[in-house]
Amino acid sequence: MTGNPTIRTREEGETLVVYVGGYLNNVLGEEVERVVREQFDAGGRQVLLHFGETRLVNSIGISFIIGIVEKVMEREGRMAFCDVSRINRELFQITRLAKYVRSFDTEKDALEYLARTV
Amino acid sequence: MAGVRLFGTMGAEASFREEDFFGREEELSALTRAAADGGRGIGSSFMIYGPPNIGKTSLLLKLAHDLRSSPETGGIPRPFPFYFSFSQILSHPLALSQHFIQEFLWQLLRFLGDGQPSPFDPEGMCDQLSVHGFTGCREILAAHAKYTAAGDGLSALVNALSFPFAAGGELFYPVFLFDDFQYTGKLQGVTDGAMLSILRPYIKSGHYPMFLSGSSPGRVTASLKREGLFGTFQMLEIGGLSQESSLRLWQYLCERRRLEIPASLLPRASKRLGGIPVYQRMLVEEIFFRNARVTDVVGLENLYALSVTEGKLNRYWREFFENTFPERARRGRAIRFLKRVLCDRFPLDTVEGALSLMGASQEEGEAVLSAFEFKGLMKSDLEQLAFIGDPVLADFLFWAFERGVLGKGGSQVAASIVQARLSHVEPESGQDAGHARRVAVVKELMRKWDLREVPLLLLDFGKFREKFGGKGLLEVVIGMEGEQVRVRLPKISSVSTGYRTHRGGPRFDFDLVAYGFLEGDFSEENLVIWAVDVVPEKNLAARAVEHFENRCRLLALEKRLPADRLRKWMLLDETADPAAVDLAAQYGVHLSHPTQVRLFLNLFGLEELEREPEAPRPSFTGAPRGEKPLEYELVLPMKADSEMVAARVAEEVAAFASVDSDTVDRIKMAIIEACINAFEHSASESGKVRLRYLLSPEKIELYVQDDGKGFGAGKTPEESKKNRGWGLKLIRELVDDVEIVTGPDGTVVRMVKFLDAGQPGPARKGEGAPDAPGADG
Repeated sequence: MTGNPTIRTREEGETLVVYVGGYLNNVLGEEVERVVREQFDAGGRQVLLHFGETRLVNSIGISFIIGIVEKVMEREGRMAFCDVSRINRELFQITRLAKYVRSFDTEKDALEYLARTV
Repeated sequence: MAGVRLFGTMGAEASFREEDFFGREEELSALTRAAADGGRGIGSSFMIYGPPNIGKTSLLLKLAHDLRSSPETGGIPRPFPFYFSFSQILSHPLALSQHFIQEFLWQLLRFLGDGQPSPFDPEGMCDQLSVHGFTGCREILAAHAKYTAAGDGLSALVNALSFPFAAGGELFYPVFLFDDFQYTGKLQGVTDGAMLSILRPYIKSGHYPMFLSGSSPGRVTASLKREGLFGTFQMLEIGGLSQESSLRLWQYLCERRRLEIPASLLPRASKRLGGIPVYQRMLVEEIFFRNARVTDVVGLENLYALSVTEGKLNRYWREFFENTFPERARRGRAIRFLKRVLCDRFPLDTVEGALSLMGASQEEGEAVLSAFEFKGLMKSDLEQLAFIGDPVLADFLFWAFERGVLGKGGSQVAASIVQARLSHVEPESGQDAGHARRVAVVKELMRKWDLREVPLLLLDFGKFREKFGGKGLLEVVIGMEGEQVRVRLPKISSVSTGYRTHRGGPRFDFDLVAYGFLEGDFSEENLVIWAVDVVPEKNLAARAVEHFENRCRLLALEKRLPADRLRKWMLLDETADPAAVDLAAQYGVHLSHPTQVRLFLNLFGLEELEREPEAPRPSFTGAPRGEKPLEYELVLPMKADSEMVAARVAEEVAAFASVDSDTVDRIKMAIIEACINAFEHSASESGKVRLRYLLSPEKIELYVQDDGKGFGAGKTPEESKKNRGWGLKLIRELVDDVEIVTGPDGTVVRMVKFLDAGQPGPARKGEGAPDAPGADG
């Protein structure tokens, strides 16, 4: 019903931009986690999660995002969200994710924010 | 005398009658211009292609005739059209080269005004040619004789093909009209493309316009590309005649045979035959020899169907298939395959798909496809297959299939062809646009069911009513392993309009008849037919069910179908008499409500079909309080991503109430979370979760019920470690009221979203834009 997990990445300066497409459930959550972990293992410290192509997020998907945020904080990295739909912003607020990670309307704004905080 | 020539191009030339040629003005103009430009060294070359017998040869011969008739130009060389057909008769290069020289000499002498040269005396023709100032001819013949004696086919061929370029000069320049060029790839002991290698320098010079024609452009263009000639050639596809040209041909043919066909029928007749001239001639001959009169559409269709099933059009295509596939079994396989593609419009564009549909070994399947391509019935471009859409061929294949596989008589098949066409063109009275639209929706839906598993209960209104005491409208069950009521829908290979045996006979006038195959196995044993009626009346009466069942029985009898191979489906408009529901259950007729169909469409991503133009949905705005709510039920298997089905149905239900998109999103998220909770925590033995959606003017109520052991409201220690356990918290935030009841039979989560801010109930949460990042505490 939901198809395969769809994830794309690109590097912008020192930031890894991760485009999360489709239904963010356990399968896609694991995939996002893997991509971010590899970025940090390779020495990267900045991640932008782009939710513009995310249709739905369930609680398991959110738990993976929380885990990712924890790891980023542990490693003193930086992280931001962008293009988050209204319902997903609401979910991030309910789960207090929004307290730890800033969301931006556009990818450009988010990248500028991360660049400033290097 | 031309009559003594046993083989070669004379057959085609002799049968060509210039006065029979109509239309193609644009093509002729382009080719004539290119031929004329050859005199100035800027001539173009063309690859002319199209399906078999579309009129490619006639076009070349008409061009040859026109060029030969072109006026003298006073000292400027004239184009000499040399027509040559590479037929399969001359597959040996020695024979071909010999014949090529003879043919060239013969046509050239005729062009130069030498009456009737002796075609089998090349030396004599050489002598005649010398009178016109051409020398060196005998030397070329001697060289050819030497290669022939040595059995050197390739050298003999090079010698022969170079011959025309040694001639010419002040009087003329040759324009090559090479027909059936694909056969040059089948010469014995000569590699594919050798012919173009030999001709390459002459083509490149621009002095010798070359028009290659054939049914298999793929092979020839591949050779052209290998030789670096593809850019030199312009591609010219030949199709049916324009309607205007086709009408002129009808008038000419009818006058010649003194037939009277009402002028009003001729456009239809042209369309019926795809504007293909050879079919027009054959149908006129059919009518003439049967001494028949055509006075109306039915008469025309009858004569056409007779011709396809037992007359000239039948013989025409039968011989074609007998020649192309001499082996009976392979012929049968090829016909059945092509029937499914052209008649049933099986969507097919890959070699893998074709082999699968054919059910043959890879070797045999590829051989059949190769033969289709060679004969011009199929085009292969970048591994994408395309089949020709010849209407007469499609009807012939229908005849061959019905007769060969189902054992039906010619008259039965003819009646089917006539009726199908008449039904298709003239929709029955009383079937308004709404009905037609609904039929189209169901048709598309059936196509989308391709290889999907949908259980019987999905369609069965009667069983549902019985099971739920008439309260609800729908139950959807998706893919439960071992489910008793579960059936696998066949692979739908064709959806067509209704079916009748013959005019005035038993009416099998279903709205749709879908042919499919169980388990994706395209065998007769697994053939299943769906008969579908969309009931136009507001209320379904028992009488209509009875009538439908009678037609189904006739259809089953006609098709010799066992009981389980005919699926019967009626789509209601609004309501059904209890007696009709009972009768449908008795006969095994599935009944469905449009609401069900709309939900299916949504599930299959087809909702736009229904939405334009959209049928009015029930509006709850201003509806009296306390009105009986609409109720939907859904049973889902507890397996990955099933919750998405629940969300999509919730979206559809919410759409009925015209709520804003934020509310829809919250409802979807809430039901997703409730489902996930049930999947993860209930430990249900049945592996099912039952959902109910109740829609009233005031609120949407969602129930998620499992038969498991229940789940706690807080996080388990393990969940806390893994950042899990957010489900219930999210639900509580997303909807206005949540109630969780756990009992011995399982757990029910009831979620309520109020639709009107003024309604009693808990205060609404989360309306409007969320807080700014970081503001949530």
